[in-house]
Amino acid sequence: MASQILPLELIDRCIGSRIWVVMKNDREFTGTLLGFDDFVNMVLEDVTEYEITPKGRKSTKLAQTLLNGNNICMLVPGSDGPEQA
Amino acid sequence: MDDSPPPPEATPPPPPPVTSGSPTDFLKNVVGKRVVVRLTSGVDYRGVLSCLDGYMNIALEQTEEHVNGTVTNRYGDAFIRGNNVLYISAAEPL
Amino acid sequence: MDTSTGIQEPFDLIRLSLSERVFVKLRGDRELTGILHAYDGHMNLILSDVEETIMLVDGMDGAPSGQGVVNVAKRKMEMLFVRGDGVILVSPPSRT
Repeated sequence: MASQILPLELIDRCIGSRIWVVMKNDREFTGTLLGFDDFVNMVLEDVTEYEITPKGRKSTKLAQTLLNGNNICMLVPGSDGPEQA
Repeated sequence: MDDSPPPPEATPPPPPPVTSGSPTDFLKNVVGKRVVVRLTSGVDYRGVLSCLDGYMNIALEQTEEHVNGTVTNRYGDAFIRGNNVLYISAAEPL
Repeated sequence: MDTSTGIQEPFDLIRLSLSERVFVKLRGDRELTGILHAYDGHMNLILSDVEETIMLVDGMDGAPSGQGVVNVAKRKMEMLFVRGDGVILVSPPSRT
């Protein structure tokens, strides 16, 4: 059987690393991934929230945060977000 | 996986670290603490987390409603319906 | 677990507010106050002696939300069913 990795296995391998979370709307988060559940609700540490507005990017620093998985669109492992990209 | 032998002795598992891991662990640690709850609309609620359930319905005490950085309301207690919640963030060290 | 009030799950807060006047914040910049008679797990509500407040927001582009409120409309209803999916927040009367 061809070696296959499930999507959530990839995320599981990101625990302890920086991750970039892109939401369905104009909002993004970066942080250190501490854990997640089957709904892809995520616990992040040393978080920066980015609100992308027509005027530019507004960032907010957050401590340990539980992010609702409901509005998550994409996850970029190992990335420190829009400022790095 | 074949039959693995039982662990050599019945030592209890080590207690989990105080700040770790899964959403459930986070919520155990954060109940009773000051938190920021941000809704998808961008409105923030700052208060003491009394409890929550599996839908992320939340009960907050000493709640302040913040819109664009200004306090727009205060509630002794507030029930927030979970579908509106974007995140719950610790506002004091865990 | 809440030490001072014995609230163990969020719905306890609503249960303890039955027959009391509650504040309800709804989607679409609406707010209600009324006597809470019944609720269910969806947060469907039955309220009586209700006053509804509707914030009519000016649609100016670039104005941050919360500003540019041009009008506030109020109306009263004797008895009201509120569908749960519109509910953002319910606050019981202050117990302090």
